[in-house]
Amino acid sequence: MGSDADLTDSESEGGFVQAEVSTPVAGPSPSGKGKGPAKPAGGNKSSRKVILREPSPTNDEEGDDEGDAKENDGHGPSGRAVAKGSAGKDDEEEEEENMDHEELGKYQTVDPDKMRAVLATFTPEQMSRYECYRRSGFQRANMRRLLQSVSGGPVSVPMTIVISGIAKMFVGELVEMGRIVMTERNDTGPIRPTHLREAYRRLKLEGKVPQRNRPRLFR
Amino acid sequence: MVGMTPAANSEGGPGGGGAGKGKANAAQQATDGSLKRKRGLFNKDLRLMMYGFGDDPDPMPETVHLMEDILIDYITDTVHKSQNVASRRGKLTTEDVMFLVRKDSRKFARVKELLAMNEELKRARKAFDLDEEKLATEF
Repeated sequence: MGSDADLTDSESEGGFVQAEVSTPVAGPSPSGKGKGPAKPAGGNKSSRKVILREPSPTNDEEGDDEGDAKENDGHGPSGRAVAKGSAGKDDEEEEEENMDHEELGKYQTVDPDKMRAVLATFTPEQMSRYECYRRSGFQRANMRRLLQSVSGGPVSVPMTIVISGIAKMFVGELVEMGRIVMTERNDTGPIRPTHLREAYRRLKLEGKVPQRNRPRLFR
Repeated sequence: MVGMTPAANSEGGPGGGGAGKGKANAAQQATDGSLKRKRGLFNKDLRLMMYGFGDDPDPMPETVHLMEDILIDYITDTVHKSQNVASRRGKLTTEDVMFLVRKDSRKFARVKELLAMNEELKRARKAFDLDEEKLATEF
């Protein structure tokens, strides 16, 4: 599955990670799933005021389709990109932007024109990765089941949304730190558990991982 | 007890594969009410997510499994900690989680954004339904 550029993946990694840093992005799909690692709140796109008041069936359907089509993405990260790639990058961009326009009227910490300019310079591989980054999320049912078994009581819908968002950001931190560890060790290819463990250890030192017990200083 | 349910058999099954049997068994488990940790609870989602964040398009199954373990620990610890600071007895609110995440500015901003967006979507859907009703009555 996926791209043909596996060997050059590590190179595009660097490029992509940098692009990620410079282009804050936050809009999730209409289902409100949490997405996006480090980005400051908000949204990306233009000053076009949100058309939430008017009934816009096409926009809503489009949004619902994309929200529900998340399951289809399981066919492979490149699956959806390939399907859309034929339509051209611009259509995909616009579709994503429409999706964000209707939700993120107020949250604009990113200049949408700059965002569009950066998106236009993406290679297809970067675009598919970016798309996966935006669209991926945890299944609400699974998350709710997990939360209920942990907390022992009913869990509200906003709670699942919030926890899913936080969890996704945590995954992002781990993967990014794992890549940093990999480059330090001059490794290539997929991230291995050893990198992940080292990344987890470093995140613990930074304090980004909740610790259960109080630190035992002198045993 | 562990050997009884079909869900547990998937744990004893071919290891290392991380097969996504989670979903089918999850339906059976739903009636059970308890969550026995099946492999691959978030397999599909996690693979896409890791690719999006910079991993290989095809992440290693061991890595995905380890990531899921870490993630479930993270969620569990976060929920337990927020239960400790919970304002309402026995009920977890989003404010508790926000209190926990306050130190991490990115996550905090993200949480606020998600909640606000949720509100907006709810309002939008309500407005959409109202407009639909209006249109329906007009005809």
